[in-house]
Amino acid sequence: MDVPSCVQQQQQTEEVWTALLQDSPQQQGNLSALMSTFSNQGFLNPAYHDSETLELDKRSPSRSRHTNPYAGGGSRVQPDVYPTESSLDPGRGPWGGLPRQSWDGGHGIPMDLLSTHPGNPAWRPDHNHSSFQITTEAHYQQSLSIQMTSLPSGNMTIRWRGHTMRRMFQNTDPNLQLAENAIMAQVENEEIHLVRELVDMSTRDRIRAIRDLPLSFQEKKHIRSQVLSFMSSKKSRHFTCLGDCSEHVSRSFRRCGSNVRSARQTLELWQGTMKEIGGKFGTSVLSYFVFLKWLLMFNIFSFLVNFGFITIPQLVLDHSPNTNISFRGLEILTGAGYFNYTVMYYGSYSNHTLFGAVNYEMQLGYFLTIAVYMVLCGIALIFSMASSFKSNYVLADSSSGAWQLLCSWDFSITERAVRQRKNNLRIQLKESLSEKAQREQLTSSEKLQHFGIHLGSWLLSTSLTVGCGASIYFLCSYEHQRMSDSSSWSLLQEAETLLVPFVVSLMNMVVPLFFSLFSKFEHYSTQRRQIYALVLRNVLFRMCILGVLCYYWMNEVAIKYSCWESVVGQALYRLVLVDFIFLLLGSFFGEFLSNVVGTRLIPRLGVPEFDVARNVLEIIYAQTLAWIGIYFSPLLPAIQILKFFILFYIKKVSLMQNCQPPRRTGRAAQMKTIFTALLFFPFFLGALAIVGYTTWSLRPSEHCGPFRGLNSTFSVVEEWIDDLRQIPGSSWVVFIYQKIIRSEVFYFLISIIILIIVYIFWQVSQGRKQLIVHLRQQIVNEGKDKSFLLEKLQNLQKSQPNQRPKQNNNRKSKTRPHAEDLSSSGSSNSNAMVQVLLARQRAEEEEERLRTRGLPDPPPHQHLYDTSDMPQSSSSALALAMQARQRAESQTRGEYYSRAGFTENHVNYRHAAEEDVNSPTSVNSVMMQVMQARQQAEEEEEELKRMKRLPAAPQNPAPSSALIQAMLARQQAQNEYDDGY
Amino acid sequence: MGTTASQLGKELLSEYQELTFLTKQEILLAHKRFTELLTREEKDIPNVRVPMERILTLPELKSNPFRKRICYVFSTSEHKDGSLTFEDFLDLLSAFSDSATMEIKSHYAFRIFDFDDDGTLDSDDLQKLVNCLTGETDDTQLTFEEMKQLISNILEESDIDKDGTVNLSEFQHVISRSPDFVSSFKIVL
Repeated sequence: MDVPSCVQQQQQTEEVWTALLQDSPQQQGNLSALMSTFSNQGFLNPAYHDSETLELDKRSPSRSRHTNPYAGGGSRVQPDVYPTESSLDPGRGPWGGLPRQSWDGGHGIPMDLLSTHPGNPAWRPDHNHSSFQITTEAHYQQSLSIQMTSLPSGNMTIRWRGHTMRRMFQNTDPNLQLAENAIMAQVENEEIHLVRELVDMSTRDRIRAIRDLPLSFQEKKHIRSQVLSFMSSKKSRHFTCLGDCSEHVSRSFRRCGSNVRSARQTLELWQGTMKEIGGKFGTSVLSYFVFLKWLLMFNIFSFLVNFGFITIPQLVLDHSPNTNISFRGLEILTGAGYFNYTVMYYGSYSNHTLFGAVNYEMQLGYFLTIAVYMVLCGIALIFSMASSFKSNYVLADSSSGAWQLLCSWDFSITERAVRQRKNNLRIQLKESLSEKAQREQLTSSEKLQHFGIHLGSWLLSTSLTVGCGASIYFLCSYEHQRMSDSSSWSLLQEAETLLVPFVVSLMNMVVPLFFSLFSKFEHYSTQRRQIYALVLRNVLFRMCILGVLCYYWMNEVAIKYSCWESVVGQALYRLVLVDFIFLLLGSFFGEFLSNVVGTRLIPRLGVPEFDVARNVLEIIYAQTLAWIGIYFSPLLPAIQILKFFILFYIKKVSLMQNCQPPRRTGRAAQMKTIFTALLFFPFFLGALAIVGYTTWSLRPSEHCGPFRGLNSTFSVVEEWIDDLRQIPGSSWVVFIYQKIIRSEVFYFLISIIILIIVYIFWQVSQGRKQLIVHLRQQIVNEGKDKSFLLEKLQNLQKSQPNQRPKQNNNRKSKTRPHAEDLSSSGSSNSNAMVQVLLARQRAEEEEERLRTRGLPDPPPHQHLYDTSDMPQSSSSALALAMQARQRAESQTRGEYYSRAGFTENHVNYRHAAEEDVNSPTSVNSVMMQVMQARQQAEEEEEELKRMKRLPAAPQNPAPSSALIQAMLARQQAQNEYDDGY
Repeated sequence: MGTTASQLGKELLSEYQELTFLTKQEILLAHKRFTELLTREEKDIPNVRVPMERILTLPELKSNPFRKRICYVFSTSEHKDGSLTFEDFLDLLSAFSDSATMEIKSHYAFRIFDFDDDGTLDSDDLQKLVNCLTGETDDTQLTFEEMKQLISNILEESDIDKDGTVNLSEFQHVISRSPDFVSSFKIVL
């Protein structure tokens, strides 16, 4: 047997099991009070099965998966099927009487084992999952990546899950021996296939696949040893040196990789601290610290790059910095004076060329280092942003449901935090419930009022922002007038330079407090919106301030000072430093004092929460300053490293001492995405734009810095290209420069191509969205389909009180059905179920065949009279259905017409039918009644459709009705069979 | 470090590394923590089982509302007593580690939440789950009405095939749409 078909066969087998098992929990559960509404929802709707339920089903790519593996085999396979079903069915209660008493009467072991072992059939959701994935895979080649990546293991899980079933049937009854054997065979098969699949994989994939199996360690070990033994036996047969070598190499690579991984983990900064914070405050607060650490890494990288490629060559070139100015101490704050003559700023770098083994041109080195660093930063940001967008936004649920709250439970938090978390979660759950309840209760006047408040607070915050920007501009101009362009300032003058950074930092600290005050008065429908509004205002504010400062630097400082880059560098140094001081003060006053106030003075306020959004914005702002400053002061990252390093500890101490975990949690991952996006979009791009503008358009200082004497910084590249022309063999560089970098046509073409690609991808994503909707609908329809079939079966059984009294009692009982004695009718019912599946399968085959012939599926009434058109050989089930239906039709036509007028829906019919059959009647008449009810319901449907002026698709009712008919016919046959005994 | 490494043995260690999501350090740390739970006599017995009560004294699990469920799910004991061998313990840590896949995590989360072990989350399971998360005393529990509403919301949200229960695939679907899950389903020693 070839592998793929065998695999498919197994999956199909699984499908049967799972389809049968799927409903057992529901049957158990629907007796409880809470559940009753849900278990009935699906099939109380008379319209559903005539809608596109089965139509969609038929069209779906997973269509073939419904095919019954035993269908082809006919009666030969059936003896195998029955015991399998009955043995696998611990929970099928009301309708599926089973030889359950044999298990319950004993020690209940099969039941227990069945439910607790990872690989047991009760885990059939595995299978559902994978079938869902497979459909997904077929259509979305790249979307839904999470599910995609888990696909192989998912499949394997299914195939493998039979493995543990072996143990579970060890203690079963002798009368299940047959089932046991069948299952054992199945399991063996599955195991062999899993192993074979694993053997075919590359070593790396295999390790990953085994690791991804949701099995216990022992089982994984077992599989691994099997795979290895299989492989070694295979290898001994055809041994090749090459294969052995590659095996060796890959093994050593793997070992190396895991060593690197563990080494990295050892080197990981602040591991214990992070765990502590996570344990006490949960993931959302932890995300602030992770973010801080991430930025710190950025800065370490940028420091290393700048130091290595800019500062070291400068130090080698020029050993003796000009130090005729003494160190006064104030420089540490202002960054002026003495520092002006060190490698701290742009001004002290030379434009010489370092002659050594390789000529190192300072100009080019300076420019390329900054450029490459900025580009690398941008790429890193784009990648991290895009990946977190994909996983946290696109896939995330837009609605804030209860699951979101329940799933975001932190397993890492400990002790005190657990209690707080429980409290908060309860409050959040209650809020989400009441939110849902009162969502529609806003009157228009209230809406107007809310809108007015929003408008007012937006106006206020915008004017505040504009006012701050304007005042900073005037302050800068004031400073501009007072400052002279001299090489040395007096102490007072130097101190005056601190005014602007002081005011800016003060504003940065105070204004956000106003913003959060405004948002207290506003009523947002969700908390998320509130946070977004707050973040947006803060971002606008900071952008405004940075914009004003940059405008001032670019337009006024650049003209006035002889070495203006250094002046800007100093200004940035001061901003960075003063901002740091204010951050420290902020965590002291903001958190410590409010803690004191909250605990001692006004207990109503309580211990402050750690405001993740505000804190993250603060460090984003700090990082932006560093990015802008990188051109003007290449060693600014060193200051930034110190700053973040100290800030980490300060914030940690402040958090531990003063704060409590945030009351509202959840969406931490999304907030993190937003912060990364913010860091990239306004802030990093803004900094890049400013640096780009400086290098491209501004004229560098005449007398200092590496670019002295050039028209613009970028002309350094032009000069370099000119130099390259003289070197033979480098003409391709010149060509690239001329034809690509400096050519408008190239960029024009590139942008057009990119636009086209974007458009195509957009269309593709639209299509996929539609497909998602369809697939969801299909799942829903299949669920309804299933529940309808079950309801039908239940009704049929209900309608035979004489034959199955025990079962009837059981159906109404409130206790778990497996405690009841269901032995009398067990196997026959499972048989019926199998038969129904077979019938369904055949009906579907029939449909397929009709479809391929291009015939439209006839509506149900046509079925009645056109049976001769059907290929007789195709499906006995359909034929049976036809016969049963015809019989029913002919016998009850009179009644049918008399009743057709007054009924509302088919539930009524069903009830009527059920009432009728309370008296002991023949099985046939029962069938008639039900079928009649069904037919009338269909008629009703048709009429409804016509009334709504919907085009009644002719083939719509056909599949479902054929299905139902087949099922009914099967059941009838079964009943007759039972009667015969 | 040298002693623990020699206790575990190189082959065993590489096998553990291959079959779990843990790194060498994590495995060694886990081994250290696990042997601390053993009594003096037990230390010499291979594959010894540590009873659930002792496992739950670990500070990482001590106050977890699902601690017992976690032990039951990861235990391979025949008696269903939630006792763990070292390998079960590694399994537990592996599923809760940073590098475990979404698939593994959601699978085990589902089993932890499936209190009656019947393979689906029905309303009883959901009720127990909510009670676990909000606290089980009378004053902290949700009222009956609230619970009913909440469970119907949950089912409405996640029960795609409308069979009244949440099965594994539906659960995994929900999980894939709540990005916080992966970062919060984590226990680090």
